[in-house]
Amino acid sequence: MPAETHTSQGPMDRGAVFELIQEQLADILEIEPGSISEGSSFAEDLDADSLALIELVEALEEELSERSAGFRIDDEDLEDLKTVRDAVDYVSAKLEAG
Amino acid sequence: MTPSASLPVAVDAMGGDKAPTEIVAGARAAVDEFGIEVVLVGPPELVGDTLGLALVPCTEVIGMDEDPAQGVRRKKDSSLVRAAELVRDDKACAMVSAGNTGATMAAALLRMGRIKGVNRPCIATPLPRPGRAPGVLVDAGANAECTPQMLLQFAQMASAFSRARHGTLSPKVGLLSIGEESSKGTPLVKETHALLAAPGAGVDFFGNVEGRDLLDSPVDVVVTDGFTGNVALKSLEGALKFLVGQFLQIFGTDESTKAAADTLLPYLLPLMAELDPEGAGGAMLLGLDGICIISHGSSSAMAMKNAIKVGHDLAVAGITEDLRTAIGG
Repeated sequence: MPAETHTSQGPMDRGAVFELIQEQLADILEIEPGSISEGSSFAEDLDADSLALIELVEALEEELSERSAGFRIDDEDLEDLKTVRDAVDYVSAKLEAG
Repeated sequence: MTPSASLPVAVDAMGGDKAPTEIVAGARAAVDEFGIEVVLVGPPELVGDTLGLALVPCTEVIGMDEDPAQGVRRKKDSSLVRAAELVRDDKACAMVSAGNTGATMAAALLRMGRIKGVNRPCIATPLPRPGRAPGVLVDAGANAECTPQMLLQFAQMASAFSRARHGTLSPKVGLLSIGEESSKGTPLVKETHALLAAPGAGVDFFGNVEGRDLLDSPVDVVVTDGFTGNVALKSLEGALKFLVGQFLQIFGTDESTKAAADTLLPYLLPLMAELDPEGAGGAMLLGLDGICIISHGSSSAMAMKNAIKVGHDLAVAGITEDLRTAIGG
């Protein structure tokens, strides 16, 4: 029996990806989820430092590896993620690419 | 999470300049002298002789010079990460490392997580006060830049730590500044002063203290940002080491000074022991959902033994729950 590479959960749409990132970020930064929008800049609007971003990345990898085995955010790509929208676009693209 | 104190202390066998030999020796001493259960973590081929102690094997080590966050991300099977996971998974009551401080903090933060409500963990280090319970300095270097809210939390957590670690019933908190007046200091210090002095701050706020108050301090907890705290701590360590060295040189000057030394040393040696960082037992990372003790990079077996005891004693004291209560989480 071949190993399952994907769970039975359906594809994650962009809205769901945003909600996941919003929820994780709110938890990490100890702020209200409602204060995080797609346009929010990590550094300027949310005061999220590099360690907070690493926490976010680790949390996303843990959550999303159940949907897509081996889901990983490359450290080299982290520098380009300046806003929440950047993160949503990146994660959505990665999930779509499988 | 309140770990059972019957769980072992997880020791990063590969952390520090003198690893693994001194680290393993210190762990063995902690078992033999204090009866504390210890489990080493490290690659077996690098750790070598475990002196009969249990070893949780892993395959990687984060070096002292590696970027902390990248080290933790890329080396998921490193001794640091695995030690933190043992605490997270309730297989160890505390972790101790003399390794890469930044990586230790990152591993502990990413694996154990923060206590709910904690903005950022901070490093609490003891300040010697000969003849009295030690004081506590926070933040000793985890956060170079802080907000007033972070410093308020540091004060709350350090007060709980002072009670649990040193038995200080009602710790007085001082804010490190360049003058006693509340009008003195940077904008950060002034805003923090207002928060600490406000009703409901949850601390017994003494007011501002200065650098000269770090030793023999009128307060039990000194609060500052991590940059200033680290500079203050290293200045103190360097000054004390210099002074002791100078005294020893003077004692060796001639026969009369050597004779004087014979009289004075029995009184001075206990004082020197109280001032020796090796005896302090390391610093604790406050604010995590688990106990992480950071030992100096040059830790000897004695320092490691004492750090392990601190980790164990804090687990017995239930420090994590105390911190949770202090933050109101």
